[in-house]
Amino acid sequence: MYKLTLILKYLRKRRIAWISLIAVILCTAMVIIILSVMGGWLKSFREQFHGIVGDIEVSRLGLSGFPHYQEMMNEIEKLPEVKATAPTLQTFGLVNIFNQIPDGVQVIGYDIERIEKITEFRKSLFEQYELQSQRLKDPKTSQPMKDAAKSVIDRAASFAKPFSPELYRSIWKDAFPRSTVDANDFPGIIVGAGVVGIERQPDGSFKGRDGIQYAWVRLTVLSMGEGTTRISEQNKSERMYWIIDDSRTKLWQYDQSTVYVPFDVLQKDLGMDERTEDGVLKPGTTHRITIGLKPGHDVAAAVPKIQQIVNDVLKRHDVEFSGRNALNVRGWYDTPGTKDFLAAVEKEIVLVTFLFGMVSVVAIFLIFCIFFMIVVEKTKDIGIVKAVGATSWGVAQIFLGYGLAIGIVGGGLGLLAAYVIVSNINTIHMKLGDWMGISMWDAKTYAFDTIPDKLNPTHCAIIVSAAVLSSLIGAVIPAIRAARMNPVEALRWE
Amino acid sequence: MGIAFKAAADTAGSTETLLAANGLSKSFKMGEATVQVLKHVDLSIKRGEFIAIEGRSGSGKSTLLHLLGALDEAESGVISYGGKDLASLPSRERCKIRNEEFGFVFQFYHLLPELNVLENTLLAAMVKFSWVDFRSNKPQLQTRAMEVLDSLSMGHRLTHRPSQLSGGERQRVAIARALMNQPKVLFADEPTGNLDAETGVQIMGVLEKLHRQGQTIAMVTHDRTVAKQADRILVLREGKMMPADA
Repeated sequence: MYKLTLILKYLRKRRIAWISLIAVILCTAMVIIILSVMGGWLKSFREQFHGIVGDIEVSRLGLSGFPHYQEMMNEIEKLPEVKATAPTLQTFGLVNIFNQIPDGVQVIGYDIERIEKITEFRKSLFEQYELQSQRLKDPKTSQPMKDAAKSVIDRAASFAKPFSPELYRSIWKDAFPRSTVDANDFPGIIVGAGVVGIERQPDGSFKGRDGIQYAWVRLTVLSMGEGTTRISEQNKSERMYWIIDDSRTKLWQYDQSTVYVPFDVLQKDLGMDERTEDGVLKPGTTHRITIGLKPGHDVAAAVPKIQQIVNDVLKRHDVEFSGRNALNVRGWYDTPGTKDFLAAVEKEIVLVTFLFGMVSVVAIFLIFCIFFMIVVEKTKDIGIVKAVGATSWGVAQIFLGYGLAIGIVGGGLGLLAAYVIVSNINTIHMKLGDWMGISMWDAKTYAFDTIPDKLNPTHCAIIVSAAVLSSLIGAVIPAIRAARMNPVEALRWE
Repeated sequence: MGIAFKAAADTAGSTETLLAANGLSKSFKMGEATVQVLKHVDLSIKRGEFIAIEGRSGSGKSTLLHLLGALDEAESGVISYGGKDLASLPSRERCKIRNEEFGFVFQFYHLLPELNVLENTLLAAMVKFSWVDFRSNKPQLQTRAMEVLDSLSMGHRLTHRPSQLSGGERQRVAIARALMNQPKVLFADEPTGNLDAETGVQIMGVLEKLHRQGQTIAMVTHDRTVAKQADRILVLREGKMMPADA
């Protein structure tokens, strides 16, 4: 009983111990905040990359692509674990948007109905998902509007243009009165939100979207077939599009510089479609096959099966890609770009956590010093409690319990502080920007436009436990010293 | 678990030896030199007896009291308490005896500054009982502590801290703490040494009253007037026990 009484009394009355308490609170909060933000950042990356890339991809280095992809897809889809496959093209292009935005972009050719079954791309679309979801959630939305929103979400995503042919012709005519082309023939294009300057506002709304669905885009791409050594005028392909939607994957490098066009249109513009040249039928090619697995299936287990199918198809057609040009089947986490990027982020997290962990060692040393001071200061008290019958172990328990109490209270308050800060980190960041012009989180650097604001319960449990353990460790030597103290010497101590 | 609140001692006038020391020696290192503080000291205390050990400062009287009270260990000699050799008991057993059968009153009171009067008095009981037992018997223990404090005229200052008390009041609280577990022997180390004459007389009055109630008391003092209030006076001189008139 005396142990608990003295621990609580010392905790309340010995203000010097509050310094250790503050150190534990700060260190706990600091490490939790760092890990939550960095860990949340990595988690977001993994989810977004996975959402964009699908589960598995078949691809090869370079822009020339590979043939017989239809056959491969048909056979891959026969595997029981495979949900769907989709061919994907990826190249670079130049855009001129409404004669206002000339830019270099990454161009992705999607078979959008297929890709929708594999990736989260649909959820990145504003008109076809985000806006409709907002309308469904908004209690002020009328029932007919809700029904309309639901029907948009329920139907497959598409590159279909939302307005009448007359409207498109009229817009084009207004802009180019002497043009003779039929503007309604232009296919639809989806642009990354950043390509057209759409920005997310702190309140969650978007700035810069007005009128983008009435804008045309001129997209120039260059084809690079197998063995292309130089680019000529013939390699260039120019096409007009109408913007039908904008995409916000939350991955900055996608949203800032990517446009999405129909697969078959881009395939044709890149000269990768099936065609007869010099009397020889050249099969269509693609840059990538994106594969989605059914829920619960292991990516790593499916990769070798798909690799076997790919090899078999190539062998059947007597096609060989080897060395650097080999056709690779990779899990989403192993795809070029994703793997290196995630590894870099993981290393950064380990480094930052290690550095802040080292800072936290200072807290242990601080607790040790303060506890040592308290033991010295309380020498007479130790003599008194021993004189009234306390055992050496009992005296040690007072100081160990004191350390434990500081760890528990400090760890708990640190967790609370971290929760408050992390939960409001975007608001805090915004206010710091408003008041002091400080901007620590840049979407260009961190890929996401908001700071991760969720605590990881496992990380929190580990860090709070470490804080408690550290406080206990800091109290061990002072506790041993107190326990070994001779009561008579302690009572005589001045 | 039950707590009996019997009188402090009910064997007044017994001839039974409660505590005895034979051939006690103790020395301290003072730098390079070794100072022999106690030299083959013999003494015995009977149940219900009030003895005073008198001696000058540095004569070793406090050291002797610490050895008798199992707070320290002698280099040689035997201290037997209730027929048991204290030195041969395990540390935990000696702690139990200090807690349940011995009570200590020190010259400088030695109260815990963070605890109030009632909590300081309850300290020995807090050491004796586990948290669960203490909680379940808290009303009885508090009643006991308040009774002891009342008997020492400290019942009105239960929530005061030691820093808010006078020297005499602090010593009364120290006596209350020592009596809380109804010790068989009360050790008093210069109980009036830090008090003015009038307060010293009051404190000695308290000890005398306790003795009349049957409490065994071993007191050390340098003051012959104080020592005279004991049944028996032993004089410690140069580490040796002398007759009182030596």
